[in-house]
Formats: sequence, structure tokens, C-alpha cells
Amino acid sequence: MMQLYKRYVSVICLVDKEGKIKPLMIVWENGEKYPIDRILEIRNATSEVGGCGVLYRCRIQNQERRLFYERNRWFIESTKP
Amino acid sequence: MKERVILHCDINHCYAQIEEMMAPELRNIAMAVGGHEESRHGIILAKNDLAKKYKIKTGESLREAYKKCPHLLIVHPHYEEYLYYTEKVKNIYREYSDRVESFGLDEAWVDISNSVSLYGNPKKIAEIIQQRVLEEVGLTISIGLSFNKIFAKLGSDMIKPMGLVEINRDNYKYKAWDLPVQDLLCVGRATQAKLNLYGIETIGDLACFDVNVLKRNLGKMGEIIYWFANGYDQSEVAFVGSAEEAKSIGNGITTPKDIRNMEEAKIVFYVLCESVAQRAREQGLEGKCVSIHLRDKDLKSFSRQKKIERATNDSDEMMAAVMELLEKNYDFLKPLRSVTVTLSKLQMEKQEYQMSLFENENSRQRKRQLEETIDQIRSLYGHDAVKRCSMLIDEELSGFDPKNDHTIFPVGYFS
Repeated sequence: MMQLYKRYVSVICLVDKEGKIKPLMIVWENGEKYPIDRILEIRNATSEVGGCGVLYRCRIQNQERRLFYERNRWFIESTKP
Repeated sequence: MKERVILHCDINHCYAQIEEMMAPELRNIAMAVGGHEESRHGIILAKNDLAKKYKIKTGESLREAYKKCPHLLIVHPHYEEYLYYTEKVKNIYREYSDRVESFGLDEAWVDISNSVSLYGNPKKIAEIIQQRVLEEVGLTISIGLSFNKIFAKLGSDMIKPMGLVEINRDNYKYKAWDLPVQDLLCVGRATQAKLNLYGIETIGDLACFDVNVLKRNLGKMGEIIYWFANGYDQSEVAFVGSAEEAKSIGNGITTPKDIRNMEEAKIVFYVLCESVAQRAREQGLEGKCVSIHLRDKDLKSFSRQKKIERATNDSDEMMAAVMELLEKNYDFLKPLRSVTVTLSKLQMEKQEYQMSLFENENSRQRKRQLEETIDQIRSLYGHDAVKRCSMLIDEELSGFDPKNDHTIFPVGYFS
């Protein structure tokens, strides 16, 4: 299995009028932006890289990614350290 | 009456597990959560399974622990995280019942009597809860399932981690009664010693003993633990959101260095009194009894208390009582290691009160206003924004903020 790393990332979100949060775009450290094409699933979950929170299973550039909203910030199970 | 179904859920070695959840690599080494040795809070608060193999015990000093396992990793506690994650776990419990009663951070009773029909059987609910806590928060919990709170707690202690033990009316005589008597809630070391004198070694022995003899020798508690052992405990699981009214407000500290004389004690007690008084004011309470608890450097401790004429939540009035107690009861032949101030016999603050003929009421009012102003300044600009001058004499002793530094207290069954 691939080794995964916990990377905190900046995320651009839409908070709708019900207060629901929808992540739209991940902003990487070098400023590169990755739009989230589709959210496949939202649920509470634990991450194997440590921590837990609301899991947003997303499709980004045709890859499935696990994005977590942990308390007040976001992290992604990254393939790169 | 319908048979109750009560779960007791216990997060297995809570602090250590939360640390592991946040940083999974800790699972691979012997790790324990412990205080800061430099500030002398050096005891083990929780340990993981690998550390357990080295026979490291909760409550022992870091030095003892290092002796048993030199490569032990000590993680300093993150109380704020523990509060958050344990609350998250309890929110899962709360989805299954409106009766969830916390017992400390990591334990809770859940009365699922009325949810059983929704899910089929009680075991199933327990399994669902266990599974959900593991998946959603990443923690393992042990659950005891029984018809009263006491046996439910016994059940949750039996298997770790992820235990699920049912103690019902058919099997409690061999499941619960074989356990040593000190496993029972409310049987501490002192009670155990007394019970052992009567040849009571197991919970079963206690349950079959003569209740009158117990009552004569142990008082009210003797009768209560007899009921507990027989499964007669009828106490309800409290509703969600019902908070017990506080009976006392207290703050204590183990100081970074020993307190050697009255002057130093004064500094520490001032900080504590200010914090206690401020907390009382916030809740609109005032108290009639001030007590101090002292522990010297050999860890011997005792308490003294004093009733005061008029209920107060003024730090100066509390301080006067504290100093009086201290002067009467301590000579500083041995330096003090930790001290606590508690305000009790609480009552709601009165808007009007009987003025005294012999005290200056004006100054009392002005002092009150002053303290309120200080509260406001502190809430706006932080605890350090305004201080007593005397606090600067020894900043090592005064440099702590009991009100806002973490506050997690042990709880008793009869609170």
C-alpha cells in the first residue's frame, strides 16, 4: 500500500445559507490551485494518517482524494510528504 | 417496572489513545502521557499498550516509569484536545438516548431502555456505538451492559480494548460476584482494608454479608455498597444537559518550587483566591466556608476549613480567612508542595443583605466594584493585563492562571 502523509492545506469553500460547507478548491503551498471536480461522499471518519473529522471523499483531476475537515482546518491524505 | 438497560462506555486508556489517534506513529512505541517534570507535575496520566507491557502504572512518577522502561516516550497532555474528542464521542452516545451521564472525561452511562425496540436488542446498540466511535473518532471503547449503573461499570472494566460484557439478572452471580471487592464503585483502599478484616474478599462475599454489621461498622456507606453488590442500585442516568449544581468552587496548584514561608504562600494563595472569587462571581454565587488543603514535600496532606460570617465572593475576604487558617495550622517546618483553596456552602448572590454596624460598608461596596472592573479588564485583555503588585515579588510562584489553565477535575459518584 502506498505511504500516505498528513498535509494541512488551504481550502476555498462555499458556505451556503444553511451553513453547510462545501470545499471548492484546494490551494497547495506553492500557490497552485486544484479545483474539486466532485464530492463523492461526506461522513465522519478517522484518517489513517492521524486525526479525525468530517471526511469529504472528492474527485480531483480524475483521482480520488480524501479531504478532512478537522476541527477548524483542512488536511488531505497526501501521496507526497 | 420495565427492566432498565444501561450501558457504561469507557474510552480505553483515554489520553494515550487520543494521542495515538492524532499521531498514529505513536502506536509503534512505548508511550505514556505525563506531566512536565520541570514544573513537578511528573506523573503518568495514561499509557499505551506497549508501555503497559513494561508494567507502567497510571499515577506513578516519571522517574519510576523511566526505571522500568528507559526508552519510554512521554507526551505532554493536550487537555483541550481531550475535551474536544471525548465530547465528540459523547455526541455519538447522545444519538441513542436522551439519558447520557458523564463520569469524568472518558466514561459515561447511557440509558438505552427506550431505544432497544428501535434496534432490536441492547447488544446490537452497544455494538453499533462501539463501531461508530471506532470509525468516526478512531477510538476503542469498552462497554458494560447491565440493569443498573454499578454492574454496567463493572462490565466495562472487564475486557480491554473493545470489550462488550453483559451482566444480567441470570449471570451476575458468577460474573460480578467473583470480582475482588475493590472493583466495586466506592470501595477504595480504606474500605477494602476494613472489608478484608471481615473476610470479605469478593463482591459476592459483600452481597451475602449481614447488612447490619456493615452499617454498624462503615456507616451509611456500608449499606450503600451492600446494595451496590446486590444490584439494587436504582439511581437514574441523568438527562443530557442536566448539570449538577456546583457545591463548591476550588483551585489548587502544585507550585514549580516549594513554598518555604508565609510570604511565598501568600503570593500563591492570592492567585488562587482571585481565581476562585472570580469564578464564583461569574456564576453569581457566594460562599460561607473557606477551606485550604495543604500538601508538604513528603506528600502528606491535610485540610482545614473556616466558616465566615457573611457569604462572600471577594478575594480579599477569602484571603483573610485563608491567612488565618494558615497561621493557625502551619509552621513551615516542612515546605509546601501543593496548595488548594475551596469556597463552599454556596448560595445565590443576594441583591440586598444585612449591613454590618461594625464594618465599613462603603469600602466593601467599592472593593466589590474594583473586583468587577478587574474581571472586565482581564476578560478583555487577558489575565496578565492587571496584577497585584505583590505578585511581582516572585513571578515563578505567581505566574499561573488557574482560571484559564486547563480545568479537568476528578468526579465522585455522589456529586
